[in-house]
Amino acid sequence: MTVIHDNLEETNAKMRARDVSVYYGDKKAIDEVSIDISADYVTAFIGPSGCGKSTYLRCFNRMNDTIPVARVTGTIELEDEDIYGSGMDVVQLRARVGMVFQKPNPFPKSIYDNIAYGPKIHGLVEKKADTDEVVEKSLVRAGLWDEVKDRLDESGTALSGGQQQRLCIARAIAVDPEVILMDEPCSALDPIATAKIEELINDLSGRYAIVIVTHSMQQAARVSQRTAFFHLGKIVEYGRTSDIFTNPIEERTKDYITGRYG
Amino acid sequence: MSPITLILIAIGLGLAGWLAGRAKAWSFQKSDPSIRLVARPNYHAWYVAVWIVIPVLAFIVLWSIVAPQLVMQSVLASPAANVLPDFGFERQSILSEARAVASGNAQAVFNPDAQGLVKPFYGAISRYNIIGLVVTIIIGFGGGAFAFLRVKPDFRARTRVERTVMIVLLLASLVAILTTFGIFASLVFETVRFFGMISPLDFLFGTYWSPDPMSSAANPDSTRYGAIPLFWGTIFIGAIIAMIVAIPLGLMSAVYLTQYANPRLRAWVKPALEILAGVPTVVYGYFAALTVAPVIRDAAVAVGISNASTESALAAGVVMGVMIIPFVSSMADDSIAAVPSAMRDGSLAMGATQSETIKRVLFPAALPGIVAGVMLAVSRAIGETMIVVMAASTAANLSANPLDRMTTVTVQIVKMLTGEGSFDHPATLSAFALGFVLFMVTLVLNFIALRVVKRFREAYD
Repeated sequence: MTVIHDNLEETNAKMRARDVSVYYGDKKAIDEVSIDISADYVTAFIGPSGCGKSTYLRCFNRMNDTIPVARVTGTIELEDEDIYGSGMDVVQLRARVGMVFQKPNPFPKSIYDNIAYGPKIHGLVEKKADTDEVVEKSLVRAGLWDEVKDRLDESGTALSGGQQQRLCIARAIAVDPEVILMDEPCSALDPIATAKIEELINDLSGRYAIVIVTHSMQQAARVSQRTAFFHLGKIVEYGRTSDIFTNPIEERTKDYITGRYG
Repeated sequence: MSPITLILIAIGLGLAGWLAGRAKAWSFQKSDPSIRLVARPNYHAWYVAVWIVIPVLAFIVLWSIVAPQLVMQSVLASPAANVLPDFGFERQSILSEARAVASGNAQAVFNPDAQGLVKPFYGAISRYNIIGLVVTIIIGFGGGAFAFLRVKPDFRARTRVERTVMIVLLLASLVAILTTFGIFASLVFETVRFFGMISPLDFLFGTYWSPDPMSSAANPDSTRYGAIPLFWGTIFIGAIIAMIVAIPLGLMSAVYLTQYANPRLRAWVKPALEILAGVPTVVYGYFAALTVAPVIRDAAVAVGISNASTESALAAGVVMGVMIIPFVSSMADDSIAAVPSAMRDGSLAMGATQSETIKRVLFPAALPGIVAGVMLAVSRAIGETMIVVMAASTAANLSANPLDRMTTVTVQIVKMLTGEGSFDHPATLSAFALGFVLFMVTLVLNFIALRVVKRFREAYD
C-alpha cells in the first residue's frame, strides 16, 4: 500500500486517479495505483527503470489507447469527469491534457507550422493574425521566441535538441491545455539544455498542472513540489518532494534515494 | 577438360590454401604465445585462398575463350585440313562436325570429309587440355605460394581480404550500370539509323501512324511515321486511366493496412495484395479482354453510345490500374510504416484525430516513398504490353474518348519487330526509335520525381 506523508494539506486536485491498473496483454504493469494531481504544483514520478511510471503517466491522456495490447482499469477524473467514461472524447481530452515526450519529436514541418498545428486542428484560430499571435505567445512562454523569431519558416527538425524539446513544449502550450504531462523530457538533452527546460518548468508551474516523469532524482528535487516514488508497478511513497528526499519513511524509498539500487 | 573441372580444381586448391594459411597462422601463436597476430587466422586463410582462386578463375575465363581458337589453328595447320573447301558454310559445318565427334558430343560424322579431321581435332583438344590443366595448377600454386609466404604475425591480412570483398561488391554493382549503358548504346545506334531515313520532326510531331513494312525501304513515306497517337495512347492508358484507378485505391489500402487494420488482418491482406503483382500480365490481358471490356461496352451501349467497341482504352487502362495497385500500396505502406511512431504519438497527443494525423503528419513524412511507388507504377504501366494488345487493339488512334480503340508505344514495338520486315526497313527500325523515346521519357520522369521529392519531402531525421 502507498505510504502517504501525513503533513500534506488538502490539495487542489486537477486530476484524481483511483485504483488504476494497466495490463499489457496478461502482464500487469500498474497495480491499482491512486494519486491526486495538484493544479498548483509540479508532481514528479520517480523510480527505477521499468517501474511503470511512464505507463502510468500515459494513462492521464489515454495515450495507452494507441497500444493495442494495453488495457486500463480504474478511474481517472479530470475535474470530476471520468476520462475513461463514455462522455469523454479522447480528442478533447488530449487538447486539455498535453504531453511532451522523452525524445523531442517536432513534426517535420516549419517551426511556425509545428506550433500552429494544434490550434488549427482544434479550430482555435480562424485568421492568419490569430495564428501568428498564438504562435508568438506559445514560443514566448516556452522561452524560444528570441532564438527562433527570425526563422519561423525553417524546419523544426533543424533546431538543436534542447530547442526541439522547448518547441514541443510550446506546441503543447499552443492548444491551451490544463495539464502538461512530461515523460522524461530531458533524458535526451545535455546539461545546459536540461537546465533551460527545468527553468521553463518552474515558469510554467502554477499556470498549468504539470506531471514530470524523471530518472534523475536531482531533477525531481529541483523542479517538483510533490514526488511519488514508483516501484514494481505501485507507488511506494508519496509526499512533499522535500520530505521524500530528506525523510523517506519506506525502506525502499530510502534505498533508492541513497543510490542503493536504481 | 571442361571449365567445370577447372573450376572444381580452383575450388580444391583454394580450400587447400585456406587450410594451409590458417595452419600457418595458428602455428605462430602456438610456437610463441607472446606473439599477437595482427589479423585473426581465418583472415590469413582467406587471404591465401583469394590469391589462389581469383587468378585461377581469371585464367579459366581467358582460357575458355582462347583455347578453342588455338585448337582450331592447330587443326587448320595440319595436313588433313587441305581437303577443306575454301570458305563459307560448308567449311564451317565440316569443322564443327569433326569437333563434335572429337570432343565426344556426337557418335559419327555424316560428311566423309570430316572424318579425316577428327583425329587432328582430338589430338589438339587433348594437348590443349593438358596445357590448360598444367597452367591452372601452376597459377594456383604460384598464387598460393606467394600469399603463403606473406603470412606473418604482423601481416595485415584482414584489410587485404576486406578490400578484395569490396572490389567484388563494386564489380557486382557495375554489372547493372554497364548493362543499362549497353541497352542505351544499342538503342541509340539503331535509332540514329532510323532517323537517317525518317525525319525526327515527322516522327515526333506527326499525328498519323501507319508504317507499311511492304513499301520500298529506299524511299519511305515519312508522313506515315507520326508517333503522336502512340505517345498519346501510352499516356492516356498507362499514366491517366491506370493512375486514376491505382493511386486512390493503392493509397487508401495502404492507409487502411498501416493505420486501421488489426495486425492479424494485415498479416493476411498485405501478402495477398502483393500476390497481385505476381500475376502474369497475360492473365490480366484475358481478364481485360474477356470480362472487363464487354462489361464496359454493354454499359456504354446502355447509356446510349451505340457504336462502342469491345476493344477500348478504358478496359485496358482500368485493368492495368488494378495490376499496379500493389506497387503503389506496397511502397506507400512501407514508407508510412517507416515514419517514426514518435511523429504519430506527437500528433495524437495534441488531440489530433487519426485521420488528421495521417493527412497532416504521416503523409507528408512518407511522401518520398509514396512518390517513388507511384513512379514505379507509372513506369510499369507505360511499359506494359500484353493487356493493351488484348484489350485496346493495335490501331493507332488520336482520341480523348476512353471508349475508342487505342494503342501504345510498346505494342507497336512488338508489332514492328515480330513482323516479316527486314532490319534495314524504317518500319522495323521505328521500333528502336520508339524504345528510345520510351527510355528517355522514363528517365526524365524518374529525374523529375527525384527532384520533386527532394523539394517537398518533410525529413524527419
